[in-house]
Amino acid sequence: MSVSVLAALRTFKKYALIALAVIVGFTAGHWVNAAFYSENAPVQPIEFSHKIHAQDNEIPCMHCHVHVARSINATVPSVNKCMNCHRNMPGVWETPEIVKLRGYWERQEPIPWIKVHDLPDFAYFPHKRHIQAGVDCANCHGDVAGMDRVKQVEPLKMQWCLDCHNERQVEHGRDCWTCHK
Amino acid sequence: MADIVEKWKKLREPGYFGKFDYHWGMVIDLDRCSGCEACVVACQAENNLPIVGEKRFAQNREIKWLRIERYWEGEYPDAKVTFLPMLCQQCDQAPCETACPVFATYHNQDGLNTQVYNRCIGTRTCAVYCPYEVRYFNWFTYQWDEPLEQQLNPDVSVREKGVMEKCTFCIQRIRDAKDQAKDRGDRVRDGEVTPACVQACPTEAMVFGDFNDPDSAVSRAAEDERHYRVMEKLNTQPSIVYLTRVEHHD
Ligand code: HEC
Ligand code: HEC
Ligand code: HEC
Ligand code: HEC
Ligand code: HEC
Repeated sequence: MSVSVLAALRTFKKYALIALAVIVGFTAGHWVNAAFYSENAPVQPIEFSHKIHAQDNEIPCMHCHVHVARSINATVPSVNKCMNCHRNMPGVWETPEIVKLRGYWERQEPIPWIKVHDLPDFAYFPHKRHIQAGVDCANCHGDVAGMDRVKQVEPLKMQWCLDCHNERQVEHGRDCWTCHK
Repeated sequence: MADIVEKWKKLREPGYFGKFDYHWGMVIDLDRCSGCEACVVACQAENNLPIVGEKRFAQNREIKWLRIERYWEGEYPDAKVTFLPMLCQQCDQAPCETACPVFATYHNQDGLNTQVYNRCIGTRTCAVYCPYEVRYFNWFTYQWDEPLEQQLNPDVSVREKGVMEKCTFCIQRIRDAKDQAKDRGDRVRDGEVTPACVQACPTEAMVFGDFNDPDSAVSRAAEDERHYRVMEKLNTQPSIVYLTRVEHHD
């Protein structure tokens, strides 16, 4: 008499199939989530494209992120700044995204941009120190100018900070209280 | 072995801290202190200190980086009281630093005794080792009732349950001053850093500055003949110098 596991498994076929479906479902869902709805690249209230602005039209980063070289925070431009250009651009006045933008302008509301790069509150990160030391945006943000939607490409973990500080021999760059607060 | 002994000796040498960038310190003139506790309140506001409430206060679980010690002499109505502001002495030979099993408290290049909250695992050994009793433990995660959370200082972390904390000499203000000095390619000048307590003191009993600079206000104030350090015999080498009270006899 031969003993086969298959025979025993046959009773569980239904459950095995359900389990398989669940696993496949989760994997696919996870992939879709990571690829399209990831926290690394959240969907913004307006489909603002760095590619159109910074690459195709060559607007310098600091035209919009004005404070990046002289403040701790890089800051995101106000609606006023968008309108300075866009009220003079009848070509794209009626497109759906610009209609949204005008909505915020008319309601006198700030655009609730979702923060992409977000360090924990206990970390102290001064943009100006890095920009003044000649560190390029791309070192930490990747090729933003080529992105339609901003995506976090670097891990922003402590080890990542330390690696660069070690490499560039930043003065006191490894002292805990340089970055912790 | 001889190598290690040599290194150790070098670290023990007096004046070892002179090689630090800055050596932040404070002079407190007890003759000027009126015990008004403005400094205590300023510290509370600046450093996001929680209000623990009456019950926990009675259990000795208050958190006050800076407190005013009171010393009574005589009986009412002939009582005399003297005050002494007690805060972390930022010892150069800090006992707490040797105690920490995870190096959450250490001496940084500014001569400051610092506490990394993220690293702290809450063994409370440092508080036991501290002869000045100025380390405070978060027994709970405290909440700020609305709208009080609006006044929290964004430059200072809000500590959670299980973390030790203590006076930092308002390190966030030191950091800011150093940052601005770097912008102009310079060092921090005397008088550019003022901790909250010093700023609040109505009688200007406290002076803050860099002991490495012999001309700074704090170095000059420390030369007063009334100077002493608390529990000097322990050789903790505090960065805070007190000037004793002048006794007034009728
Ligand atoms: C026309 C104005 C404009 C220009 C030019 C511009 N940006 Fe932005 N940037 C924005 C706005 C608006 C946001 C917020 C919306 C978003 O995240 O997409 C933003 C967001 C970002 C973010 C993500 C912020 C976050 O939430 O973490 C980064 C990084 C960034 N920009 C880098 C750059 C770099 C690098 C350049 C130059 C290559 C640049 N930007 C040029 C307007 C601009
Ligand atoms: C320096 C001028 C300038 C500023 C500032 C600016 N833009 Fe633009 N924007 C442009 C140009 C140029 C185009 C390309 C228009 C075209 O394709 O003809 C554009 C295109 C766009 C588009 C795509 C329009 C479409 O539907 O084709 C959107 C959306 C947009 N901008 C949003 C914004 C927002 C939001 C801000 C503020 C953060 C902003 N822009 C600030 C110059 C600017
Ligand atoms: C050394 C790495 C580094 C460099 C270089 C750098 N950034 Fe950032 N950036 C960060 C980090 C980290 C954050 C997240 C900050 C936070 O959450 O507090 C951030 C956040 C931002 C934000 C979000 C808004 C804000 O203030 O938090 C913008 C916009 C931004 N960066 C733009 C830029 C631009 C433009 C440049 C180049 C001129 C640049 N950054 C260079 C690391 C860097
Ligand atoms: C690509 C390299 C690079 C990365 C990544 C980087 N840094 Fe830096 N950082 C530097 C350089 C270079 C300096 C030196 C600036 C100077 O000398 O003024 C610096 C300086 C600093 C300073 C100021 C030190 C001082 O003495 O004033 C702080 C704070 C800091 N970095 C925090 C961070 C944090 C937090 C991160 C991670 C989120 C980070 N850095 C990631 C290159 C980097
Ligand atoms: C170059 C900047 C930098 C320095 C120097 C630095 N840290 Fe950090 N640290 C960070 C950043 C940014 C984070 C938050 C990102 C993360 O979780 O990795 C962090 C996170 C941490 C965490 C994890 C906290 C948590 O709850 O997730 C610990 C623990 C920590 N740091 C301890 C230390 C100690 C101890 C030192 C000194 C020996 C130190 N750090 C020095 C930048 C720094």
